[in-house]
Amino acid sequence: MSGLTGRENFGHALFIGAGAYTAGFLATVWFANPWYSLPAAVVVAVAFSLIVGFPTLRLKGPYFALAMLTASAIMQRLCLIFWEYSGGEEGLYGLEPLILSPLHYYWFVLAILVIAVAILTALAHSHWGLLLRAIRGDEATCQAAGINVTFYKIASLMISAAFAGLGGALYAHYQLQVSPPLFSVLVSITVIIMVYVGGIGSIYGPAMGAILLTLLTEMLRGFGEYRLWIYTLTLMLILFFLPNGLIAPLWRRLTERFR
Amino acid sequence: MNAILEVQDVSKRFGGLTAVKNVSFSLLPGELTGILGPNGAGKTTLFNLLTGFIPPDSGSIRFEGQELRGLAPYKIVNRGVARTFQLTRPFLGMTVLENVIVACLSPRARDAHDKESRAHQLLDQVGLGAKAKDAVETLPYGDLRRLEIARALATRPDLLLLDEPFAGLGSSEIEPLAQLIKRLHREENLTILLIEHKLREFMALVWRVIAIDFGEIIAVAAPADIVRDPRVIEAYIGRTEADHASV
Repeated sequence: MSGLTGRENFGHALFIGAGAYTAGFLATVWFANPWYSLPAAVVVAVAFSLIVGFPTLRLKGPYFALAMLTASAIMQRLCLIFWEYSGGEEGLYGLEPLILSPLHYYWFVLAILVIAVAILTALAHSHWGLLLRAIRGDEATCQAAGINVTFYKIASLMISAAFAGLGGALYAHYQLQVSPPLFSVLVSITVIIMVYVGGIGSIYGPAMGAILLTLLTEMLRGFGEYRLWIYTLTLMLILFFLPNGLIAPLWRRLTERFR
Repeated sequence: MNAILEVQDVSKRFGGLTAVKNVSFSLLPGELTGILGPNGAGKTTLFNLLTGFIPPDSGSIRFEGQELRGLAPYKIVNRGVARTFQLTRPFLGMTVLENVIVACLSPRARDAHDKESRAHQLLDQVGLGAKAKDAVETLPYGDLRRLEIARALATRPDLLLLDEPFAGLGSSEIEPLAQLIKRLHREENLTILLIEHKLREFMALVWRVIAIDFGEIIAVAAPADIVRDPRVIEAYIGRTEADHASV
């Protein structure tokens, strides 16, 4: 969503981690019903997006990316510094699963994914999405067209934070624990790579990119030590030869052919 | 009749350079006024001050009785002051129609229920109706100017500021665009302020000319009289070598 405004978010870990830790605290400190985690994670992640959103409003491109990256790194540090509360390196243990059967949980998460993709796709194709693309194109022209650029930037960051926070909570209840690496640069970078492989500025592209990359990691397990090599090389080739991503342009071409 | 726009003692300095110096003027509702000045006289800076893109150092800008100074550009647009850019700035990667729809989504244009049909109507008005579905990248320069105007009109302005609408256009394009501006002025009940640095285009179009040079107003007169004003002639033709010697 933030990608539509041309401000690639390198700090998804911040919102994923915020969501996951919200679930962790609810479970281990307040012993709350695990189902409360999901709305609470969304609320906390959105609050985080407001906290980092306003000071970074004027930043664009690499500067915004760096600021977001730093924000999640700071959170990772804070988790270690305040280890009495956050469990430090160990993290928080003892979360209850939302649904006992892993298979049922899989279907539940898949349903949420489909709903999320549907909501985001509808937004991207609405007037809202058009405005975000306009902001990406030229902020001054948007101002001249009477559009409150600040509002739309913050709102789109809030939306992407909400979904990332939800994802974090779902992940936490799957792993049944949360730990500082959730805030790590690696998580954010993985999200960005998924987005680029899928095709930036589309919704289903990144969603498919995420599935593809996760499958790729799993399939390459057989190659042992060489796994990381092959994985990285594949990514480099995709980014180099298909700067618009793999899935979104492919899908577009297929649908045009059969139209 | 009360002025629709009152500009009082507006100044702007960039470091040591005073781009706009104590500029004061006012526009009556429905007037078609031009700002004339050589390149670098401060015309575009003045537009940027009026539309909030650059904050003035001092002075006041009152529109329909309310102060505009300090408002964000989009808020000024939503008060009813729209502008075009000298270098056209379309939203790339969109159709011509989508470019106009964006402006139809601004709060002031909210009363139109069907943004698409309103955008179509605006494109028809500026003569781009047939190109609505085209990618904006394919538009020739003259059409981009018309698109700028359509986008500005979409925000339902009372005052329209046109920044050098004729710059870079061929002579065959200038006359139809001048006709369009005249027609919009009449049909939409607009007050128009336009910048130009070519005298010829002014003569047929505007009622009154404000001539500026080095950021200061040097003359205000009807187009026919402005060309006889010695200060305007000096600004345009420059002092001769002999004048320099005597100074």
